[in-house]
Amino acid sequence: MSRAKPKVVIVPCSGIGKPYGTVSREAAYIATEELSPDKTQLVPLSLLVLGDSQTRAAVAQNVAVTIDGCKLACSTKMVKESGGTIAKEIAVLDVFRQHRDLKPLGIAELNPEGLKLARVIAEEIARQVDDLTAGVPDSPNPRKAVRKHA
Amino acid sequence: MQGFLEVSVDKFTFKVARDRLYAEEGVWARSEGERIRVGLSDFLQQSSGDIAFAEVKPAGTPVRLGEEIATIETVKVNVSLGSPLAGRVMEVNPALQSAPETINKDPYGDGWLAIIEASDWPVDQRRLLTPEAYLEVVKRLAGEGVEVP
Repeated sequence: MSRAKPKVVIVPCSGIGKPYGTVSREAAYIATEELSPDKTQLVPLSLLVLGDSQTRAAVAQNVAVTIDGCKLACSTKMVKESGGTIAKEIAVLDVFRQHRDLKPLGIAELNPEGLKLARVIAEEIARQVDDLTAGVPDSPNPRKAVRKHA
Repeated sequence: MQGFLEVSVDKFTFKVARDRLYAEEGVWARSEGERIRVGLSDFLQQSSGDIAFAEVKPAGTPVRLGEEIATIETVKVNVSLGSPLAGRVMEVNPALQSAPETINKDPYGDGWLAIIEASDWPVDQRRLLTPEAYLEVVKRLAGEGVEVP
């Protein structure tokens, strides 16, 4: 019998109307749709907040990477409150501090610098996901993967 | 003297430290003899947003009253900060280089910007606002809907 491989859930923040929140979501899209589609699952923070059972189960049964657009760190807090295990917390502002030339602007549409910053974050996520899933066989207990990295 | 004046607007609370004077733009100055420590008010740091970079004029730089002494780049805006007094920069907060968010976390304490050797503090301090007067400025600005994150 085959089992589904464990996935890393990616939880961006819901900072609607703020460039750094938009960067967090754009990074999550790039990571889950382009760089690591087979190893990740995008989790909308709004569903987690609403208590959607499937979403909470995904967080509870897999390790998570959270991406926060501001110091309130809503996605990190919500994953913790949902009983999730966080393998990596990413703050967009911290990444921007390392890439000052990539100042994100715009909300509905990020400027080119913001899109580049999102890609930098997505690539960091992809590396983290590769580490978390490296050598992990199909397993009924995906949290085994994170214990090595905790 | 310890303690703060406070005003709450919606879900935000802005503190004004009682033991220092303020420029209306939100830079505080606290006398330590001839040396004056300066920094950002709680209202200015909250309304400016999370600080990504803070750059202060280096030690030895002469500054005139109102002349730019520092700039901060936040997630929302770039802010030029005028000096609340004339003098010479004696010391810059070394923590700001690696952890500019210290200003957000502790604007009246560890998040200070610089120490200035005053050239005429008795005169310059008369131009500054008392904590009570600055609190009224904060109330007015907050009431006008100055955006806070």
